[in-house]
Amino acid sequence: MDDTFHLPEMNQMLKDTPFAGKLHFFPSISSTNTYAMQQAEAGAPDGSVYFADQQTAGRGRGTHTWASPPGSGLYVSILLRPQISPADILWLSLATGLAVREAVRKVTVLECDLRWPNDLLFGRRKFCGILTELNAEVTRIRHAVVGIGINVHQEEFPPDLREIATSLHLESGRTWPRQDLLVALLQSLHREVSALSREAAPEILKRLEQASSWVRGKRVRVEEGEGFSGTTEGLDARGFLRVRTANGMRTVFSGGVREA
Amino acid sequence: MNADEMKELKELIEFLKESKIGEFDLERGDLKVRIKFAQEGAPANLAGLVAAPAVVPTTLPTVHAAASAAPTPAPTATESEDASLHIVKSPIVGTFYESPSPGASAFAKVGDVVEKGQVLCIIEAMKLMNEIESDAAGEIVKRLVENGQPVEYGQPLFALKPR
Repeated sequence: MDDTFHLPEMNQMLKDTPFAGKLHFFPSISSTNTYAMQQAEAGAPDGSVYFADQQTAGRGRGTHTWASPPGSGLYVSILLRPQISPADILWLSLATGLAVREAVRKVTVLECDLRWPNDLLFGRRKFCGILTELNAEVTRIRHAVVGIGINVHQEEFPPDLREIATSLHLESGRTWPRQDLLVALLQSLHREVSALSREAAPEILKRLEQASSWVRGKRVRVEEGEGFSGTTEGLDARGFLRVRTANGMRTVFSGGVREA
Repeated sequence: MNADEMKELKELIEFLKESKIGEFDLERGDLKVRIKFAQEGAPANLAGLVAAPAVVPTTLPTVHAAASAAPTPAPTATESEDASLHIVKSPIVGTFYESPSPGASAFAKVGDVVEKGQVLCIIEAMKLMNEIESDAAGEIVKRLVENGQPVEYGQPLFALKPR
């Protein structure tokens, strides 16, 4: 199908957000996050959006990559300069997961699961990953880049991904326009970012607990330090995942949470 | 003592000299400065004074000794060196990583001379990667955390000898 992006149309739909007029599309790019971080360093404004039909070096956490073949997914990085303290920036990571979930629900009516901190899954298979990169001083955030990869049109995955990856097409048997997803995503992200503050934190925690089957009572293995296993037992006041292990309660800072 | 503080101190000494003040004590947090000019209105040699251990920040425990009008004890070389180090702190809670990805070489190691703005490490929390830049130029003399270790907000990460 013809699944192209119409920028003037998108700008019109986003006119009440900081993203209107700041959309940058690339047929192919190495990594939207890398590019966005470079642009941020060069002074690009808050709300700049960089998205691509294809990434040749899509990145994930650590050594992970994000397979980004052409015409298959939504690969987008959003530059933000939020006026919050660096100590509060982690709420952005959690709020972004909620924003994508809401956008997917709005466009496709599909209800997805959230794996702490912000992976989006159907069952055991992931269809959206989020990687945020930050440049901050101790007291001030210079810029943050939120990178989001969503599998949209894939009808199958290579053998090494088949058991862990899915797409909106595979889940619904239908084809969803990436433009609709991107507009809905930017609208919900704008709502989340506008509400971001320490006061909003309890609300984010509550919504996350409701949206995620992973926050409580899930047997997990955590790839952090030497690694450990246990059962999830909610989030602490800062939004970190608590896991009860044989040796007591542990707090997960970084992620790498998998079903045990 | 960093470069800014050294500059402030020099300005202070100029002011005291002009005002013909014989003795001056200053305490600000961990920093304690005692300045005493040579008698009979002849100011001490300025360059010598700044370089000499008589005007160095001392740690709090020595303040009490100084307060009882006793001469300020000359601190050891180590003490003055530690106080002169610049500490790079973590702006967020998370996990400390010395390199951009596992197996890659470290951003910076002890002995490296780094510029202001140079990336020293990554702190990661909730899949949010924070590249920590050095907020001063200088030589890294200590790394204060282990690779993969959790760190708290404001926790010291590196000690730099400012240039």
